[in-house]
Amino acid sequence: MKQIFPLTFMTHNDIPHWISHLQKIENVIAPHKNGINSFSFGKVSDPKCVILNYNRTLSSIKKYFLPPKETLFSFSIDGKEPTSSKVEPINAIFLGVHNYDLEAVFRLDHNFLSGHAESQYLTRRQGALFIGVSYTPDEWHFSNSVLKDGEPNHSGGFDLFLHEIEDGYLLETLTESGQNLMKGFPLPEFDGDIPQQQSFNAHIDGGFEKVTDVFSRAWDSPVWESYAEKCVGCGTCNLVCPTCFCFNVEDEVDLDLKTGNRIRTQDGCMLRSFSEVAGGEIFRNQKAARMRHRLYRKFKYISQETGESWCVGCGRCSSYCTAGISIVDIVNDLIHDSNREIGA
Amino acid sequence: MMQIFKSIPENMEANLYLPSMGTITQTHSLTRKEKWYEIQMPETHSFSYKPGQFVEVSLFGVGEAPISITSAMKNPGLFEMTIRDVGVLTENIHALNSGDLIGIRGPFGNGFDLKKFKGKDVLIVAGGIGLVPLRSLIHTILNDRKSYGRLIILYGTKSSQDLLYKSELDQWETHPGIEFQMTVDQPSPDWHGIVGVITTLIPSVTLDLENTVAAIVGPPVMYKFVLLSLLTKGLSDENIYLSLERRMKCGVGKCGHCQINHSLVCQDGPVYHYPELKKLQEAL
Repeated sequence: MKQIFPLTFMTHNDIPHWISHLQKIENVIAPHKNGINSFSFGKVSDPKCVILNYNRTLSSIKKYFLPPKETLFSFSIDGKEPTSSKVEPINAIFLGVHNYDLEAVFRLDHNFLSGHAESQYLTRRQGALFIGVSYTPDEWHFSNSVLKDGEPNHSGGFDLFLHEIEDGYLLETLTESGQNLMKGFPLPEFDGDIPQQQSFNAHIDGGFEKVTDVFSRAWDSPVWESYAEKCVGCGTCNLVCPTCFCFNVEDEVDLDLKTGNRIRTQDGCMLRSFSEVAGGEIFRNQKAARMRHRLYRKFKYISQETGESWCVGCGRCSSYCTAGISIVDIVNDLIHDSNREIGA
Repeated sequence: MMQIFKSIPENMEANLYLPSMGTITQTHSLTRKEKWYEIQMPETHSFSYKPGQFVEVSLFGVGEAPISITSAMKNPGLFEMTIRDVGVLTENIHALNSGDLIGIRGPFGNGFDLKKFKGKDVLIVAGGIGLVPLRSLIHTILNDRKSYGRLIILYGTKSSQDLLYKSELDQWETHPGIEFQMTVDQPSPDWHGIVGVITTLIPSVTLDLENTVAAIVGPPVMYKFVLLSLLTKGLSDENIYLSLERRMKCGVGKCGHCQINHSLVCQDGPVYHYPELKKLQEAL
């Protein structure tokens, strides 16, 4: 890759000092350890608690731009003009973000920019800087099967990017904003190449090109029903997906019974009530139909307009599925089923 | 092309979800379950609308729901709705009276494309509260009667107690510019009209097939049978428009609730040209 800024080197010991340096510029949001193998993004208070070597966080950084629950406006029940909730730009440095999670943010950008531009998301989205980190794919990651640049060390779109090497990190500077973050924190230049990418363990057979092809004729496949039999319809896959953005809207009344808030909460198309209309009709009553809708949202409906997969291959829905269903298995079964059908 | 955030777009609204307060200027009950409202929006939030569009109606502390506009556009900011009491929100709306305030966002959706109806015979097929959005189309046509050919209205309800806009139905029956027929499925002893589901009315209607455009709105179960009946009669797909009901929670193409395959009903619909609708496997 062509270097615009020189590659520099940082030891493991440098990392907490560097984070302290970044904190002087802006709030830093980074992964922390929550349990044996559970990680989550949070605002850094102690730089020593930041974990850069992790497989995946339960929630993506989506939660900072599209909170799981937020107030849209406040009202008084007597019907006076409601008051819009104030939304502030995030103005933060996101440190230790994997390639697929930034790709997911770009997809949310598209959804909230296209058609009616939404102020809640877009206002928050201001002032976000991204520092990526390479990762070692585990049994669930499959980003290079769906993304054009899905390699764990792909740094495109980031301001700075950390490539893990044996005794520390190579720091790649990609934007002027990234360069500005390094002012006052000099690092030795590194004379060498960025290390080879790590290979993936999970794959979609034939990659995204094959996915696009198969989803043009997967509608009536028996594969949907075979996985729906296992699915418990809990919606965890929607909850952890970094590109799921559907929401429900409802009113919460304060204890004084005079005022309240209209809130939106994260919702999921795998939940039975999602497509219910007044009078009780449910338009996707079968789990197989809901599962099909979810996967078509990831691989076809928005993808056919943008040319991009709306699944980023993070592996969250598979690794957290309460019934042990893997999205890679579903897609590969759809591919094999369609190959059988056309006699390939 | 994927759009990635660079800066705040110039055309961005301050808050897409914030309703403006309209005033109920008139209201009365149409049946045991349906009530009619006239709403006046303040000058600062007045709007124009097309037949087939809907608004998001709010009652603070209870919630919000998509409701069809039932009037034809006359003065900006003045419109009518007919609301069936089916849940907590609509029950609470039914308790409101003239002078009360009500939250309104919109109008949303595409509405009927009048260019496709002008100069043609118009066949309206309304099942139950499907007449609510279609009344907006009917009034729009009546306000500009000479721009259209025949106006044929077929209306079916469960029982005679469910008939909406009864005094208007009486006018339509005798109106020289309207060919009106109605049927009820479960007649009471005092019903002397036609008995049967809506499709009962279709065989006897003579249509100039090349020159007739149909607008169909009704409960989900009705569409298949009405379509079959009209297509059997020889009307082509090209001449059929339908309006669909889905759970449009946001109205602005974001919340995902109203999505049918790739189509968002609140953006691409609720009115669909039948050849387009046929491509959506989940629609009917």
